[in-house]
Amino acid sequence: MHNDDLETGAKPGALSRRAFLKGAGGVAAASGALAATTESPGPQQAAGVLQGEMEIEFHINGELQKVRVEPRTTLLSMLRHKTEPALTGTKEVCDRGNCGACTVLIDDKPQYACMLLAVDLIGKQIRTVEGLGTPEAMSPVQEAFCAHDASMCGFCTPGFVMATTAVLENNPAADGDEIRRGLSGNLCRCGTYPHIFSAAEDAGRQMAGQTKGGERK
Amino acid sequence: MSAESKSNGAAPAAWKARGDMTVLNTDLRRLDGPIKVTGRAVYPHDRRIPGMVYARLVLVPVPRTTITKVDVTAAKAMAGVVYAEATKEAGDETKLLGDDSCVAVVAAESPELARDAARAVLVEYEELLPPMVTREQSRDADAPEISRRGNVEGEQSEGSAEDAAAAFGGAPFQVRATYEVPTQHHVCLETHGAVIDAREDGVTVYPSTQMVSMSQGIYAGMLKRPADEVRIVCEVMGGGFGSKFGPGLEGLTASRLASAIGRPVHLMLDRAQEFQMAGNRSAAYAELSAGADAEGNLVALQGEVDRMGGMGGGSFPNLPYIYRVGTSHFTSRSVHFATDANRAMRAPGHPQAAFCMESLVDELAAKGGFDPLEFRKRNLESPVYHRQLDRVAREIGWHEHPFRMGPAKVDDGVMEGIGFGIAQWYSGGRAGAEAELRIHPDGSVVSSCGVQDLGTGARTYVAAIPAEEFGLRLDQVTARIGDSDLPPGVPSGGSATTGAVTPAIKTAAHQAREGLEAKVVDAIGGEVGGFVWKDGTVHRADEPDRSMDWKAVCALLGTEPLVARGAFDPALVTDDTGLHGAQAARVSVDTLTGEIRVLKMVQMQDVGIPLNRAALRSQMNGGMIQALSYALFEERVIDPDLGLMLTNNLEDYKIAGAQEMPEMVAIIDDEDTRPGTTGMAEASVIGGHCAIANAVYNACGARIRSLPITPDKVLAALGRV
Repeated sequence: MHNDDLETGAKPGALSRRAFLKGAGGVAAASGALAATTESPGPQQAAGVLQGEMEIEFHINGELQKVRVEPRTTLLSMLRHKTEPALTGTKEVCDRGNCGACTVLIDDKPQYACMLLAVDLIGKQIRTVEGLGTPEAMSPVQEAFCAHDASMCGFCTPGFVMATTAVLENNPAADGDEIRRGLSGNLCRCGTYPHIFSAAEDAGRQMAGQTKGGERK
Repeated sequence: MSAESKSNGAAPAAWKARGDMTVLNTDLRRLDGPIKVTGRAVYPHDRRIPGMVYARLVLVPVPRTTITKVDVTAAKAMAGVVYAEATKEAGDETKLLGDDSCVAVVAAESPELARDAARAVLVEYEELLPPMVTREQSRDADAPEISRRGNVEGEQSEGSAEDAAAAFGGAPFQVRATYEVPTQHHVCLETHGAVIDAREDGVTVYPSTQMVSMSQGIYAGMLKRPADEVRIVCEVMGGGFGSKFGPGLEGLTASRLASAIGRPVHLMLDRAQEFQMAGNRSAAYAELSAGADAEGNLVALQGEVDRMGGMGGGSFPNLPYIYRVGTSHFTSRSVHFATDANRAMRAPGHPQAAFCMESLVDELAAKGGFDPLEFRKRNLESPVYHRQLDRVAREIGWHEHPFRMGPAKVDDGVMEGIGFGIAQWYSGGRAGAEAELRIHPDGSVVSSCGVQDLGTGARTYVAAIPAEEFGLRLDQVTARIGDSDLPPGVPSGGSATTGAVTPAIKTAAHQAREGLEAKVVDAIGGEVGGFVWKDGTVHRADEPDRSMDWKAVCALLGTEPLVARGAFDPALVTDDTGLHGAQAARVSVDTLTGEIRVLKMVQMQDVGIPLNRAALRSQMNGGMIQALSYALFEERVIDPDLGLMLTNNLEDYKIAGAQEMPEMVAIIDDEDTRPGTTGMAEASVIGGHCAIANAVYNACGARIRSLPITPDKVLAALGRV
C-alpha cells in the first residue's frame, strides 16, 4: 500500500481519524480479540478500517522516510521506535498529553507527538529536535539554551526547544508573556524555566536579526 | 605503558584564590548542553540495541490484596510476545501499593505489544480492607498490623518534657498549632528502569541511576556474573532527586529477563507505575507549641511528630530546626501506610521540618508583635544567616513593604505579602571517589571519573578543574563520566558528590602539573612549583619571559601520555561548618477566589568555591521552583476507601509550570570565603515553601498550616467558605 492509496482512497473520508479510531477500538476491546488480530500478518483493509502494520512514507525533518506503522502507532512511538535510526530526541515522559516532552512541529505548529496517530500525518511536515541543528551547528534556539544554562538533566529540553522554536518562528519579537504562554504546555522538574525564558528572548533577538537580513531558514 | 607522574609531595594541592580563577568561579557552558538541546544525548530510555525486547511489569492498582488468579496464558500466545510470567500466584498477598504490587512481567517485540500483553494478563484478587493508606487508618486501635515492627514505631525523643512544659508555661507569648505536609513525589521525567545487554563475553547495563560505580557489584549479583564481566553505563540520565540509587524491582526484573530471554531487555516503568513504586518524600503530621519571652527570645518548644513514609521510616529531623530555643522537648515516630517506602528526596526531612519551624516562628512573631525578620535574626546565632536574611530582605523589597508587622485589613481585592525561610545542610565531602587525568603528547587531555551527572553539572567540573590547573580553555579538556570502567565515583546523595569528586580531580590535576613541570624544568629551567600556567602557556614565575605553549609542553612527554590518579583530600573541601541559605517570597492573594500567585522569589546560598556560577544559579532556581511547587500544588492522594492512587499522572499530580514562574533572583553568597568545594543542591530546596506560606499570611492573614496551600484552604482561613 502506498501513500497515494491512503490519500486518494476510493471513498473520500474513508480514512478519517474516526475510521482509524474505530479500528483501534476494535483491537483494544478484549484481550482475546486482541490476540487474534495481532496474529494476522500484513495490512488489511475492509470498509475503510485499517489493521496491522503497513509501510508508509512520512516527511520527517525534510526527508521522505518509509516507516512501518500500525494504525494505533502514535507519532511518538513511531519516532522513537520505528524510524531508522531511532529519533529518540523526542522524549516519552507521560504519554498522555500532560508534559510536552514529546513536542514536535507539524507543519510548523507545536504538537504533542504522544497525542497524534502516525497515520494522520501523511503528507504533513514533521520536524523533530534532531532536524533543527546538530551539536556542531545548532539552531539559534539551541545555541541560546546552551548559552543560558537552560538544560539540567535535559530530559524536558528537546520539548522546550521545539516549543520555543514554534513561538519564535511565529514571532521572533515575542515578549515574556507570549513566551510563557507558548511554553505553558511543557513541564520541567529540575527548574530550568528562568533560564529557558532568558534563552528564548535571546534567541528571538537572534532570529529577528536573521529575518531582517533575509537569511532565516 | 604510560609515564607515571612523580608525586614527590613537594607541595600539597590547593585551590587558587577565587579572584585568580579563569575557568572556575565563572559562568561555564555545561559540556553536555549541545547534545541535550539537539536530542543527541542518549538516555537509558533511548538505548536501542538490535534484537532488544521491551519488558513491562504488571501491577495491581490497590494495596493489600489476596491474589486469587494470575493467568498469563493468553499473553504468552500473542504474536510478538516473547515472555510472560506470573510473579505471584493464587494465595499470595500484595502487602502494599508499591513494588509488591507486581504480579506478572511480560516482554515483547515492541512497547505496544508489551502493553497489549500486559493487558492480556488475567489478574483477580480480593481486597483486604481498609487499605491502610491514611494516618487515621494506621493509628486506629482496631487497625490490622501492616508492618512487623507495628503500625506505629521508631520513636525518637530529645529533651525533657517537664522542663519544656515549664518553660512553655512561663512564656508570655505562646502558640499551639498543628501542621501537615503531604507525601511528595520525585517526578523524575525519565522514569526508573534499565536496559540490559547480556552477552557471553560480558554484560552492559544502562540504568537510569544516580549511582554508577557501586551499581556494578549489585547488578553482577543479580545477573549472577563476576563483577568484571559487568559494565554500568549512564552518561546522561533524566533526573533522580534521591530516588535512583539501587536497581529496584525494575532493575532486578530486567536482569532476570536478560538472562532468561537471551536478548537485550528494555524495562522502564511507565508514568503511573513511577508514581506507584518509585518512592516519595515522606509526609508529616506535627503538633507543636512554642513560647517567646517579652524581648522576642524563643524560650520553649514542644513537639510531637508522626513521620509518614509508607513502609519506610519517614524523615524529619528533630526540632528545633536551625533556630536557638531555650528549652525544648521533641518526639517523632513512624506511622506506617501500606504504600512504598519513602526514599531520599532532595534534603530528606528538611523541607518538612522547615515548614513546621518557620510557620511556628512566624506565628510567634505575629503573636508577640515582633517584626518577623528581626525576630528570626534575634533567634539565629550564625552571622551567615543574618547577612543572608538582610540581603534577601533588601532584594524582595521588605523595607518598603507597608505591612511588615502583619497583614492589612482584608478587603475584596488582591493583596500582597512577603515571607521568609531559611535552610541548612551539610558541607564538605567524603572519601570514596577517584579520578584519572591523562595528558597526551599531542596536547589532548582526558579527565575521568565514574561519577554520574544528574543535571547538576558534574561532567563540566570534571573537565573544568584540570582546565583551571593548566590555564586551558574548558573545551580543551574532555570529561569522561558515567561508566563503571572509569575510576570510581560516589553515589549522588547528601549533596556530597561535589565534595567527594572534586578533590580527586584536583589532586590528579595537581600531580599531573608537577609531573609536567619536572619536564618543563629540563627545557627552560626553574623548579617544580615555580611556574605560572595561564592562557595556554606556562612561564617561570621568576623569569616570565621563559615560557612554552601547551603543545610544546606536552610534546616533552615523548611517546607516552602522562597519567595521574587522584583521591579524596579533606583539605580541598569546605570544613563541616555547614551550608546556609535564606529565601524570601512575595506573593499576591486574591481574597475573593483564594488564588495565590508567587510574584518573586529570592534565594541566597553559601556554596564554598563557586565551581560554575551558571550551574549554581540553575540549582538555586531549581530549588526555589520545587519549593514553590511543594507549597502550592503537590500532593499524593490515595482514595482512603478504595486504595486507588488518584494522582498517578501529571494532570492530577500537578507540578509547577511556566505560567507559575515568579521573577527569581539567585544570589551566590560570595562572602563565604572557605577555601574548599562543597555541594549545595539540597539546601536550596528547603526554605522557599516556608517563605511562600509566611507571605500568604502576611498578605491576607490566612495562616495555612497544611501544604499544599490551595485556594479552598485560603478561603476557609479567611472565613469565606
